[in-house]
Amino acid sequence: MNLNPLDLLFLIAALNLLAMLIVGSWRGAGILATVLYGAQLLALSRISAPTTASFGFSGFGFTLGWQFDALAWLFAVITVASALVASWYGSGEWLRRFAGNRRLLLSALAANVLAMLMLLGSGDLLTLFVGWEATSWAGFLLMALAGGVAREAALKYLVYAIAGAMALLAALVLLFKAGGSFDFSAAAASLDGMGDAPMWGLILLFLVAFGAKLALLPLHLWQAPAYSETPAPGAVFLGAIVGRMGLFALAVVLVKLIGIADLEALAIPFSFLSAQDLIAWIAALTIILPTYTALKQNDARYLLAWHGIGQGGYMLLGLVLGSALGTAGGLLHMINYAATQATLLMAVFAVQHRIGHTDLNRLGGLVARMPLSFLALLMGIISLAGLPPMSGFVSKWMVYTALLQDGRPLLFLASVIGTLGTILSVYKLIHNMFLGQLRVEHERIDEAPLSMLIPMLACATLAFITGAAPGLVLGWVAAAQGALGLPVLAYTLGGVDSPQASLDMLWVVGVLFAGFGVGAILFYGFGGKTQRINQLDNYAGGHFLTTEMRYHYSDNLYAGLMHLIGGWYRGSFHWLESAISSGVSLVATAAGGWYRAVSPGFYLLAGATLLLAWVLL
Amino acid sequence: MSLAELLLELLVMPLVAFVIGLGMVLMMRRIGARLQRRVGPPFFQPLYDIVKLYGKRTQTSHGLVHDIGIVMAVGGYVAAETLLPMPGMNGIAEKGGLITLVYLMMVPSLGMALGVGQCANPNGSIGIGRALTAMLAYDVPFVIVVFGVAFHFGSTNLVSIIELQQAAGIAGWGAVQMPLLAIAGLFALHGMLGKQPFEIYIAPAEIATGPMVEMSGKFMGGLFVMQSFQLYTASALYVTLFLGGGENWLFFIVKCFAVLAIPVSLAFLFPRYRTEDLVRVFWKWPVMIGLIGLAFVMR
Repeated sequence: MNLNPLDLLFLIAALNLLAMLIVGSWRGAGILATVLYGAQLLALSRISAPTTASFGFSGFGFTLGWQFDALAWLFAVITVASALVASWYGSGEWLRRFAGNRRLLLSALAANVLAMLMLLGSGDLLTLFVGWEATSWAGFLLMALAGGVAREAALKYLVYAIAGAMALLAALVLLFKAGGSFDFSAAAASLDGMGDAPMWGLILLFLVAFGAKLALLPLHLWQAPAYSETPAPGAVFLGAIVGRMGLFALAVVLVKLIGIADLEALAIPFSFLSAQDLIAWIAALTIILPTYTALKQNDARYLLAWHGIGQGGYMLLGLVLGSALGTAGGLLHMINYAATQATLLMAVFAVQHRIGHTDLNRLGGLVARMPLSFLALLMGIISLAGLPPMSGFVSKWMVYTALLQDGRPLLFLASVIGTLGTILSVYKLIHNMFLGQLRVEHERIDEAPLSMLIPMLACATLAFITGAAPGLVLGWVAAAQGALGLPVLAYTLGGVDSPQASLDMLWVVGVLFAGFGVGAILFYGFGGKTQRINQLDNYAGGHFLTTEMRYHYSDNLYAGLMHLIGGWYRGSFHWLESAISSGVSLVATAAGGWYRAVSPGFYLLAGATLLLAWVLL
Repeated sequence: MSLAELLLELLVMPLVAFVIGLGMVLMMRRIGARLQRRVGPPFFQPLYDIVKLYGKRTQTSHGLVHDIGIVMAVGGYVAAETLLPMPGMNGIAEKGGLITLVYLMMVPSLGMALGVGQCANPNGSIGIGRALTAMLAYDVPFVIVVFGVAFHFGSTNLVSIIELQQAAGIAGWGAVQMPLLAIAGLFALHGMLGKQPFEIYIAPAEIATGPMVEMSGKFMGGLFVMQSFQLYTASALYVTLFLGGGENWLFFIVKCFAVLAIPVSLAFLFPRYRTEDLVRVFWKWPVMIGLIGLAFVMR
């Protein structure tokens, strides 16, 4: 039998799952899984043109088939690379000390990768649905396995996922009725003659179905706890890529199937806005609100998870703009963010591994004990905040510039406000964890083990290299744009070169480091010799400091800002969610009572009254 | 342009910026002195101060990050100067553009924040918390201004923004074409410089309880250098966006000093805002003026 690279990829992914199910509790299973993810990456690297898998299933007159185009390939590379990094991170000392069920964790990770590859390779709408379901359930497994708070959050996610699946099913029925087939091309053809109302229905159904995974507002509440409470490798994988499956699916249905031009032409009744504006504003609000929620977090994992939700907004915002620069920015941000978030989460979980918690009010001064983790976190926060020279800047620059060229001042302002909030919040992260006073109980801790440091620093380096030379990955992005039928970005190794706006990161990064060199020469080359002093040798208004004295200002770092905007945190979305859930539980109680005939008289009376009212009115 | 010429420009631009920045520090102090009926410092005082701070015998460091913070604070501005065109020198302005410059200008602030945070003094951390909040406040009107200007000139390329203004004469200057945005920009500039009434985060009057609490010797000297760069960068950027850039060196320097003289003079007339009042004032007035100005630009 002749296997093409795609068959090989699926085969290895399935073998990986099987192996983890069988030998997952073995000590070296993490290393085996890492090697197998490496093999999957190798198989992916051999796919150069759109490839169709040579296997498929058929029944009831339908076929499930898989194929990879440039878009699926791009997402698959990031998926498998994230799994590789996460698995490596957790393969050594971390796994040996892991108190939970190893087999469950490793199989859940393998199952997620397989399910996501199935989703990414879906050749028609039915396969997309199957892949979507598989991804949802595999994701649930990974989120729930820690138990406790994590399980509750995962159950909440499951409710969103099932509601989303129903929405997706409804959308597919709508498309099947119109086109008579689950083929992408037949569905696209049937959309041409579709009226405004069904089109709106379709768009909203897709937004609900896939928006929950991407955690678009207002479907975002489940994500932060579900992602944060998972064991380290799971959290790294979830944070880096899993939510982005929603972005992939939205790209397929909104951009490839419906098309940005149709979204632009579809007006919101009684307003001057279009469907494109609506989605762009949902994305913008998804940037702002979760970012400022992140600012209020006191746990490093939650802080990062909330930022993950916000960064998804940038991706969708860029994508829905439709221009070459905007869509490239959105897709590039997916790549850059995966490396960034993986770096950050690995650094934070390294602290958890050594200290046992990630409470931002009970840490500080760790740079003295864990300098390499500090370095990784520093590179990560610069990238997350979108500052040069890291890669996060490049993709955000593309989104800003696209908004500027499109003439959208308020969306531009919204995305910059998100960035400013990110800067505040990530400074709090690094300040509360790594800077300031080292606590006496942390004086003897060690740097993270090598097995955790290597993937962490590798990811940070990747985020730096793709920042200095974005052209290295922009080729993949341009190919994905082509696969989506979008205008393709003309790029250079250093970024973009166009008359309206150019960016050459090679020069910018070069000049920045030359500037740092000058700064270093000025600092170290001139003036008196510096003396290192003890952290307690510090100005304290005439008092003497002792090791017992907490001299690290961490809680409510932005007190002045909170005086002003603190009142705006009303938890409206939590209120909305609990209102909906209590409404649903009321209906469920009533339905349950009716089914079990708890008080038949009451239902008879209510039914008769309603019937009478209907007849009379 | 040959590579050698470009490299020479990249070397000269920060140097010139630093010298002009020192002159601006002097002007700032002289204006303050005049308003308070003092004589003011001698011409070379800014330079003397830097030499004095670098030459101090006790130089206390709280660790590597403390040092690196100062390196980043100075180095970030050295790099930023090469993105800001000067008369006859464009550096790498065309390879970066306005948005890159705006974000590059945040790198020094991040460096300073890291350095102060490492000092393990709560007064420093409080100061940085306030400084970042202030950044959130003045950057909102600032990016409205940036958007308006870039949209008006159809480019984020600072070189073409200057060329378009100079080709059209004074009537084509950003300040004439977009007066409301120019006012909002001046407001944002004032906040960016951290001068009274927006100086609570630097707290220059009560140094023991501000971000500078653990900064002495060449740490303070480095921040002094950073301030010189900052004064130059902010005013030169304003001149570039609204006053047609520099036709020649004389005009350029006169414009830069004139722009800076406005917030510096106003600074001595006002008491201080609390952090939350500072945010409120920036989110209300310059944002409102800026958005109205933006509406005119985009009509």
